[in-house]
Amino acid sequence: MTAEPFLRMDGVSKRYPGVVVLHEASLEAYRGEAMALMGANGAGKSTLMNVLGGLATKESGAIFIDGQPVSLRSPREAAANGVAFVHQELSLLPTMTVAENVHADEFPVRGGLLAPEIMRRRTTELLARLGSKLPTDIRVENLSAGDRQIVEIARALRRRPRVVIFDEPTSSLTAWEKTRLFEVIAGLKRDRAAIIYITHFIDEIFATCERVTVMRNGRTVASAATDTVTSRDVVHLMLGETDNIVRLGKTPAGDAADDGGDVVLQVKDLSRANVLKNVDLTLRTGEIVGLWGLLGSGRTELLRALIGLDAIDQGELCWSRNGELLSITPRELRRFVGFVTEDRRGDGLFLPLSVETNIALPSLPALTNWLRLIVGKKLARLVHGMMERLRIKGSGPKQPVGTLSGGNQQKVVLARWLATNPRLLFLDEPTRGLDVSAKTEILKLAVEFALAGGTILIVSSALEDLMRVSDRYLVISRGSIVAKLPGATTADELKHAVSDDSSRSEFRP
Amino acid sequence: MNPAKPPLIVSAVLSRYGFPIVLASVFVFFSVATRSFLTLANLDDMAHDMSPLIVISAAEALVVMSGKLDISVGSVAFLSASLASLAMRDYGVDPIAALLIALAAGGLLGAVNGAIVVALRVNALIATLGTMIMFRGVALELTDAGLVPLPEKVRLLGNLSIGPLFVDIVVAAVVLITLDVVHRRTRFGRQIMAVGNSEAVASDLGIPVRSVIFRNFVLCGALAALGGVLTTLQVGAVTAYLGSGLEFNAVAVVVVGGISLFGGRGNLLYSVALGALTFETIRTGLNYYGANPYSYRLVGGAVIFIAMYADALKRGRLGQNRNVLMRG
Amino acid sequence: MIRTWTLLRMNGLLKSHPSAVPLPDAALDGRGGDVGAPSLSRIVDARLIASALVFSLVLGLLAAFAPSFFRLNNLVNILVQTSTLAILAIGMSFVMIGGGIDLSMPANMAMSAVLGALYMRVGHDPVTGSAIMIVSGATIGALNGVAVAYLRMIPFVVTLATMTVAKGACIWLTNSVSIAGLPESFGDVLLARPLGIPVAVLATIALTLLASTALSFTVIGRWLYAIGVNERAARVARVPIERVTAMSYVAAGLSAGVTAVLLAARLDSASANMGNDGVVLDIVSACVVGGISIYGGIGRAYGAVLGALFITIVSNGLNLMGVSFYLSLIVKGIVIIGYVALDGLSGKAP
Repeated sequence: MTAEPFLRMDGVSKRYPGVVVLHEASLEAYRGEAMALMGANGAGKSTLMNVLGGLATKESGAIFIDGQPVSLRSPREAAANGVAFVHQELSLLPTMTVAENVHADEFPVRGGLLAPEIMRRRTTELLARLGSKLPTDIRVENLSAGDRQIVEIARALRRRPRVVIFDEPTSSLTAWEKTRLFEVIAGLKRDRAAIIYITHFIDEIFATCERVTVMRNGRTVASAATDTVTSRDVVHLMLGETDNIVRLGKTPAGDAADDGGDVVLQVKDLSRANVLKNVDLTLRTGEIVGLWGLLGSGRTELLRALIGLDAIDQGELCWSRNGELLSITPRELRRFVGFVTEDRRGDGLFLPLSVETNIALPSLPALTNWLRLIVGKKLARLVHGMMERLRIKGSGPKQPVGTLSGGNQQKVVLARWLATNPRLLFLDEPTRGLDVSAKTEILKLAVEFALAGGTILIVSSALEDLMRVSDRYLVISRGSIVAKLPGATTADELKHAVSDDSSRSEFRP
Repeated sequence: MNPAKPPLIVSAVLSRYGFPIVLASVFVFFSVATRSFLTLANLDDMAHDMSPLIVISAAEALVVMSGKLDISVGSVAFLSASLASLAMRDYGVDPIAALLIALAAGGLLGAVNGAIVVALRVNALIATLGTMIMFRGVALELTDAGLVPLPEKVRLLGNLSIGPLFVDIVVAAVVLITLDVVHRRTRFGRQIMAVGNSEAVASDLGIPVRSVIFRNFVLCGALAALGGVLTTLQVGAVTAYLGSGLEFNAVAVVVVGGISLFGGRGNLLYSVALGALTFETIRTGLNYYGANPYSYRLVGGAVIFIAMYADALKRGRLGQNRNVLMRG
Repeated sequence: MIRTWTLLRMNGLLKSHPSAVPLPDAALDGRGGDVGAPSLSRIVDARLIASALVFSLVLGLLAAFAPSFFRLNNLVNILVQTSTLAILAIGMSFVMIGGGIDLSMPANMAMSAVLGALYMRVGHDPVTGSAIMIVSGATIGALNGVAVAYLRMIPFVVTLATMTVAKGACIWLTNSVSIAGLPESFGDVLLARPLGIPVAVLATIALTLLASTALSFTVIGRWLYAIGVNERAARVARVPIERVTAMSYVAAGLSAGVTAVLLAARLDSASANMGNDGVVLDIVSACVVGGISIYGGIGRAYGAVLGALFITIVSNGLNLMGVSFYLSLIVKGIVIIGYVALDGLSGKAP
C-alpha cells in the first residue's frame, strides 16, 4: 500500500439541464489496490466514472494520475492516459473474432494488410494472462458472457492501462467465472494497476477490494478501508437515513402472512435461465406489495416475464376470474395488468403524440361507436376525467406529451393504465426522476387504487418511497425471492435483507 | 418473436448449406434436362455474362456489410459509361483515358452518395433512391436516351480473350478476389465490418465511422462504373437501358448469397459468387429449357423470398445472440 | 417486423444502441421540454417553407412561360393525372406511418389491372372486372403484410421480391402486349364527369376522406401511429403489432387495386408497363413532401394527396416549360433527398 493515491478525482461537479448530477464528488485509488465504488441508482457513480473514462465532461474539479493533472475529454484521451473502462454493456463486435475484437481500436497493419499472426500472438498472450485459453479465431457472439468479458478485458489490457474501471462486471457471470474474474483482478493488482470496481453486490467488495467509496445523490459520502466497515454500514451509507417515513395508506400489518383479501394472482416456480429462478408469489386484492431488491436483482425482469413481454422457461400462473383461480398464460395476463415501466420515455410514452392519445391508447376499443369510429366525446370525457383525477397539468389534452414535465409524464402513463380499470398494476420505479411533491402524488394515487380494491406490485430503489405505501415486502435477489417480510419491517431490517447475500444462487450460462 | 421453428438440425443444415444445395440441384437439373447446358462453351458464356454483375454485386456487398445500402449502382454504371463513351465519340479521347474517366466519374458519384448519407444524415435507402433518379436523368439527358456506340477498335475489346477465358471474366475474378482481400485482410475492411456490427460501438472504439462509410460509397461508385464499362463492352454500345434494374439484381445477389442486410456479417467471395451463379444458372437454364423468358423474373423473385425466409430463420437464433451480447 | 430493424430504420436510421452515456435518472426530473425532442411545429415549418417556396417558384415560372397551364381544362386534367399518384400515395402513407415501405405498389397495380382486364376481355362484366382488380391488389398487399409482420422479414426486400415477381408474372401473362378490348361500360362509368368533376377526382376525394377517418378516428389508425413512433412502448401498451402492421400493407395493396381500376379505364387498356420504376419514386416523394416521415409515426392522408399534387404539378410545369424529362428527374431526386434531409436535420431521426 502506497501513501499517495495514484488516482485522485477532486471536487468533480456536473449538471444536466436543471439537475445537479455530481456535486464536488471525489475519489481516490491506489496502485495495486481495488477501490469499490458503491451507490444506489442515480447516486452518480456511473457518471463519475464516465468522466474518468472520457465519456462525459465535468464542469469543475480536477483529476490527477500519478500526481499529474490530466484532461480526459474523450475515450481516446482517457486511453492515452492509461485509463481503461470495462463497461457493463460490453463494447464488443459480435460477428468478429476474439483477436479482431481485442485489436478493434487499432488493427495492427504490415504493409497495408492486416497482420493476423501479430494479432493472434498478442491475443493469446493477453488471454493467457487472464487465465483463458480461448481460441482467437472464434466469433465473439458464440461466447458465454464470462468469456466475452474476458475478451473485453483483454482489449483493455492490451494498452497496458494504469487505471482499470470495472462497471458491474459480475451481473451475468457464473460462480466459476466470477472466481476467475477475481483472480484477474488480483493479477492486475500485482501489475500495480489501480482498480475501480463499481458494483452493488456487497459480498464482492469484501472479497476483492481494499477500500470502498460510497456515493449518494451525486456526493461522495464516505470512503474507508473494507476491513473497517460491515456490510450493514455500507448499505446504510448507500441508502441514507430513513427515519422520517411519512406513511400513506393503511398501517402495515405485523406479520408476513399474505392473508387479507382474496387471491388475485398466484405464481409458482417461474424461471428463466440466468435471470429468474423458481419465483413463487401471491398477490391479493387491496394490497400493495413492495418488490424490494437492489439493482440487477431481477425486479424488472420479473415484471416483464409475468406479462409475457419476455419469454419464460417454466412457471405456472393462476388468475382469479369469477371467484375461481384459473390457469393463465403471461400473454393473456397482459390484458388485465397495467404496467408502468421504469423507462417512461423509452417504452412508456409516445413522445410526439398527444396527451390524449397516450392516455387513451389501450382503452380505445371501448370508446368506439357502432361504426367502429372513435367517439370524440367519449374520448374527451375519459381523458378529461383522468387528467382531472390525476391533476395532470399542461396546456390541454392535445399537447405533445414530450413537452410535459417528468412528473406529469409519469402521471400520463399511470392515467393510461388506470383508465383501463385493471385489477392489477405493476409499478416499476414510478417515482424515479421526480421531485418530492410529484413523488407523493404518484404514491397517493397508488394507495387510492389499492383502497378501491386494486392490487399493486411496486418496484423501487428508493426505500423510503417503498416503505410509504407497501403493505408487505418480497425481497428479491439474483432472480429469486429470498424473503417475504411483513409491512411492519423496519428500514434497517430491509436494508439488511438485501445486504446479506447468504442465499446465493448459481447460474449456468 | 421467432417465426415458426422447424426442427433445429434441419434448419441448421438448411441455413448453412441450403443455397449451395439448391444451386447444385438446379444446376444438375438443367444439365440433365437440356442438351447444351453443361458444355464448356455455355459455362464460358455464363461466366462472361455474369462478369458485370459480379463486379457490381461485390461492391454492393461491401456497402451492405457496413450496414448501408446503395441502390444507385445501376445509374452510376450508366452515367459513368455514358461519360466515357461520349468522351470517346465526341472528343476523340482514347480508350484508356476514357476508362479512367468512367472510374473517376463513378468515384465522384459515389462520393455524392457518401456525402448525402454521412453529412446530411439521410437514410441510405432514400439517399441512393434519390441519386438513382438523378444520375439516370443526367445520363439520359447527355445521351439523349439514344445509343452511343463504341468506336470500332474498342468494340473489339469486348470479346477479347486471354487463352480460353474472356477478359471480362478475368477482370471480374480479379475484382472479386481483391475486394475479398480488402474485406478480410485490410484495416479498412475490418472497420467496415465493425461499423456494420454497431456504429455506436465502433465509434466508441475510435473508428472513424463517417469516413469509413464515405470511402465505402466512393469505392462502390468506382466499381459500379467498372461494371458499366464491362456491360458496355459486351453490348458494344451504351444503351438507354444500361444498368436499369441492376441495383435490384445486385441486392438480390447479395441477399441470396447469404449476406445479411443488417450488416457486419458475411463472406464476400463466397456469397457474391454463389448469388451471381444462382441467378445466372436460373436465367440460362430457363433459356435453354425453352421456358418463357419472363418466367425468369418470377423465379428470381421467388428465390429472393426464400433467401429472405432463410435469413429470417437464421436471425431468429443469431439475432438474439447479438442482443444478448449488447447487454453484456 | 422488428421495428428497430425495418429497412427504413437501418442503413443510417438505426436507432442507435443505447449510448455508453445514459442520462442519469436525475436528469429525467426535467421541468419543461425534453432535450432533443422536436417540437412538431419546427418540422412543419421547415417543410412548409420549402414546399411553399418551390411551389411559388414553379407557379411563377409557369405564369411567365406557359400561361396555358392555368386554363380550366388543363387544370382539370392535372387533377385527373394527380389522382393516380394521390391514391397510391395514400396507400403508401399507411405503410410509412407504421414505419415500413412498399416498393411493390406500382407492380401490384399493373398486375391487378392486367388480371382484371384479362377477365373483362372475355367476361365482359366491368363490375366483376373491377372487383378482381381490387381483390388482387389487396391480396398482394396481404402477402407483403404477412411476410413483414408475421415472418419478420425486411420490408424493403420483401416488397422488392414481390415487385419482381409481380412484374415478371405481368409480362408473362401479357406477353408484353397491352390488353385492350375492355367493355365500353367500364370506361363510360369511370371516365364520366358528373357535374364536371371527373370520377377519378371524386374517387380521390372519397378515398382521402376514408383514409383520414381511418387514420384519425379508428382504433387501428391510432395504433398504427403508436407503432411508428415507438414500437417497444406500443407492445407494452397492448397494441397488436403484427395485425396492425399487416393491415397497413393490405391498405397499400387496396389502393394499388383501386388505382388499377381508374388507370385501366383512363388508358382503356392494361399492360405490364403501367407501373414502371419511376412511379415508386414519385410515390415516396409525394409522401415525403406531404409531411409523412419515413421514420414513421407522423403524417396524414391529405398530406400525401397534397404531396402528390405538388409532384404532379411540378413535373407538369417543368414539362410545359420545356425542361426535358430527364432534367426533371434530377429535380425529383433533389426534392426527395432535400425533404428527407430536412426531416433528419429537424431532429426527428432517431
